[in-house]
Amino acid sequence: MLDVGRHPNISLLAYSEVESVKGRAGDFKVTVRRKRRYVEEDRCTGCGACTEKCPTIVPDAFNQGLGNRKAIYSYFAQGIPSTHTIDPDFCRQIKGKKCGICEKTCQAKAINFDQKDRIIELNVGAVILAAGYDVFDPSMIPEYRYAQITNVVTALEFERLLSASGPTAGHLDRPSDRAVAAEIERMEKEITKSQRMLEKFEKKYEEASAQFYDNFQKSRFQDDEDRLKWAEKYASHRAIVDSLDALKEKAASFTVAKRLAFIQCVGSRDFRFYPFCSGYCCMHSIKEAIIAQEHEPETTSTIFGMDIRAVGKGFEEYKVRGGNHSNISYVRGRVSEIMEGADHNPVVIYEDTRERQVKNEAFDMVILATACVPTKGIVDLANIFGIELDAYNFIKTDPLSPVDTTVPGIFVCGCAQSPMDVPESVAQASSAAERAAEIVAQADVEEAVAL
Amino acid sequence: MTKTNDVLIVGGGIAGIQASLDLAEMGIRVHLVEKLPSIGGKMAQLDKTFPTNDCAI
Repeated sequence: MLDVGRHPNISLLAYSEVESVKGRAGDFKVTVRRKRRYVEEDRCTGCGACTEKCPTIVPDAFNQGLGNRKAIYSYFAQGIPSTHTIDPDFCRQIKGKKCGICEKTCQAKAINFDQKDRIIELNVGAVILAAGYDVFDPSMIPEYRYAQITNVVTALEFERLLSASGPTAGHLDRPSDRAVAAEIERMEKEITKSQRMLEKFEKKYEEASAQFYDNFQKSRFQDDEDRLKWAEKYASHRAIVDSLDALKEKAASFTVAKRLAFIQCVGSRDFRFYPFCSGYCCMHSIKEAIIAQEHEPETTSTIFGMDIRAVGKGFEEYKVRGGNHSNISYVRGRVSEIMEGADHNPVVIYEDTRERQVKNEAFDMVILATACVPTKGIVDLANIFGIELDAYNFIKTDPLSPVDTTVPGIFVCGCAQSPMDVPESVAQASSAAERAAEIVAQADVEEAVAL
Repeated sequence: MTKTNDVLIVGGGIAGIQASLDLAEMGIRVHLVEKLPSIGGKMAQLDKTFPTNDCAI
């Protein structure tokens, strides 16, 4: 990634989208919209002082909404380019309120609220489409209760929870426990606030709140309006303190998630959604289970699947290693339903096809191996470039020329073509690069001949 | 005649990054368009990558 930012032959147009394309192989005219960041790219040093001071807190898309970021942000810490961006949907200043704190903080004078989108024209010989994929939305499968049971997460969300740079700093805290921790934090803030109010009353009447409340309940000062407020404030303060104590007691027993269930083929190999196999999810689940066990040696994982597809160099060995050394057990069977059990534990109901029995088992967390589905913008992109899509909306290619789209000079690689894992994406990318280079070299030769 | 031996790459995930670097190393000028504020794509969101369990970034 760093190399891309540094390479003299690469001009990086991040936060940009292709608007239109004309021409043919060897000579395409492309219009690109460079969306406004409200931050000058050539001035921003990526220091992050603005982010520190920004008062607006927004769910962080990079962390799959599990953490928070500010309205002015870098997409992720090591992101290239490191230029910060203002989110116009949340920024107070852009929404018409008074703020501009980032502008005052920025020493590089990079903030520019009047910035406009820029349209640039490019002339290129070949195009490579590497538009990627989307993760299947598991809330489309109601029986898995993805959005309802907080401890049921997708594989990508789980990836962020495992990450040392993620919202939990790599501790496998259950989302339900994190919600309690957030609630405790909110209550503590509220208590400090009401404490301050009570102190004002105490100073005014030179009496401790508890003592006053005792007297108040013995029907004194009942018609004094100010004291009535005091009593109300104290009562609500007590209520919060009590429920905070109860929550804290509950939170004291929280541990990291140790019993994990991975459910394969969520959205893929399912005729209701996508009949194809997404290919990488079996190995992804095994990898996540191995990493989780590395973090916490007591972790046990159960992978539920019709079969584990470990097709590739070293894959089967990796699967066996997981079973032998990382407490992974593989259960052949499809999960029919996930219910919520005691303590927010998801209960998995499945058929163990080897024992021919329907069973249920409670876990700390369930991870859904979601399908690789065509990215939302792919239809627009296909229209812009005039290429054809296949029946699922992946980019159409011929089996014998897997990186050529239906338009000469336009190539495809990665999951925009079909689901594939990282090594395959990389191999296909090199292949597409080579095909594009052929076109460009041809243009060079033609130019030389013409001269 | 205008110079047309540049290549446009749409998408800055692992595939787009690899294709960009390969072409750039060949001496071909690349324009890499990414719709999000930073490149990296889904790969950057992965904690570690299979099979060596190395850091993704």
